Amino acid sequence: MSEEKSSEIDPFAQMIQFYDNMSKSWAKAMTDTVTSESFAKSMAEQMESGMEVFSQMRRQMGDVMEKYLEQMNLPTRKEVVNVAERLTRLEMAIDDLDAKLDQVLDKLRSRD
Amino acid sequence: MQEKPELPWEDLFFQLEASTAEASDVAQKVYGRYTRGAKLIVDSLNIPVGLTPRETVWAINKTRLYHYLPTRPIQECYPIPLLLVYALINRPFIFDLAPGRSFVEYMLNQGFNVYLLDWGVPGPEDKNTTFEDYVTEYLYRAVRKMLRVSKAKEFSILGYCLGATLSTIYAAIYPEVPLRNMILLAAPIDFSEKPTGSMAMWLEEENLDVDRLVDTMGNVPGELIRHWAKMLKPVENFIGAYVNLLKIMHDEAAVRGWQAINRWVEDVIPFAGEAFRQFVKIYFRGNQLIKGDHVIQGRKVDVGRIEANLLNIVAEYDHLVARSQAENIIARVSSKDKTMKVIPSTHLGIMASRSAKYKLWPEIVDWLVQRSKPLEQ
Repeated sequence: MSEEKSSEIDPFAQMIQFYDNMSKSWAKAMTDTVTSESFAKSMAEQMESGMEVFSQMRRQMGDVMEKYLEQMNLPTRKEVVNVAERLTRLEMAIDDLDAKLDQVLDKLRSRD
Repeated sequence: MQEKPELPWEDLFFQLEASTAEASDVAQKVYGRYTRGAKLIVDSLNIPVGLTPRETVWAINKTRLYHYLPTRPIQECYPIPLLLVYALINRPFIFDLAPGRSFVEYMLNQGFNVYLLDWGVPGPEDKNTTFEDYVTEYLYRAVRKMLRVSKAKEFSILGYCLGATLSTIYAAIYPEVPLRNMILLAAPIDFSEKPTGSMAMWLEEENLDVDRLVDTMGNVPGELIRHWAKMLKPVENFIGAYVNLLKIMHDEAAVRGWQAINRWVEDVIPFAGEAFRQFVKIYFRGNQLIKGDHVIQGRKVDVGRIEANLLNIVAEYDHLVARSQAENIIARVSSKDKTMKVIPSTHLGIMASRSAKYKLWPEIVDWLVQRSKPLEQ
């Protein structure tokens, strides 16, 4: 008897039912709110202040770290990034050479 | 033997005991379901995806071109390879979610030779990669390699979301390439209208200082993009998704699908800084893909030069790419063979819903089969 009763009580089922009944009206209200001009403005303001703090922190930490790495005779982030960018350009140049070589080989084969 | 006298509170005691046992039983079941749900959510972040066997045929930087191993004999396959190009946001495994729910697997079984371009995850060294670099430096080379590897004379391309935008730019600036068929899924191309209720409002000049964002962050963090995307439908994304999991917890296959989609939703990657800046300024605010004044490496970005057969698929309930942004391309291209389909689906559902396999994918195959001659012809 206890089992029968407990199978009837399902808080999740009630929650799902509640969500299904309410979600349409909530969803519309919430979507209207977040896509309103005032919400966009307030989000922009929050992001602006966040970026202000973040950029200051990043600049200060970057300066400290750069000096430290220089003293330790280690490459800085900027230098590693430069090397990585050059590597990508080299990869592209090799890829173009590879493609040209394929074209030349095709022409040679077609002569044979 | 004398019977114990019945005490007046004995009945109450048994009732109380039974109620406590019942409450405990319910609590245990609720707790069990809650912990199972939580575990399923956590596990979803590491669930295996993209399981269709493939080989890497080309790589530059983090970009990879994958070739999926055919499931049918080569003589039964269509000779025109199909290149899948995904967006710069999220990962391309949306094309290959799980066995039985994989677009790649479906296309292979239909006899297509499938390639996938994976842009990879941008690092700090990629912050200067522009939106156009993805076309001229990566997509261009990947297509060249695919044509070489497949020995094909023509190819088809399928672009999804921003992948469709990149594919359109590619087709517009390289009209000489042997692109036979172009399929665009939920393609953000025409931004002359910026409907309310879309992400458009947040990207407007007065609401986003894109220079400040890119100069500060380098690459635009994936978390920020995920937050933007989820905030557009807060109730559905922050509550509804988990309520849906509760509803399907008894169905293993459905749970597996939910986990794969949840992993995809959560697995947002950074957007290369310059690419984001350029997309917002030139293509979104400037609408240059439609205006046609923009020039890339001396080539005009003119969609009117596109002559490939075009299938443009628009999701009717897409909250990320408005219908007006996706459908106008059809009137601008010079293709003689062009088709537009409006599907009653969402941005994600167009590829990942359970019904996609039975509705949209067969339509794509039908369209493509008619335009991909088999070898014997």
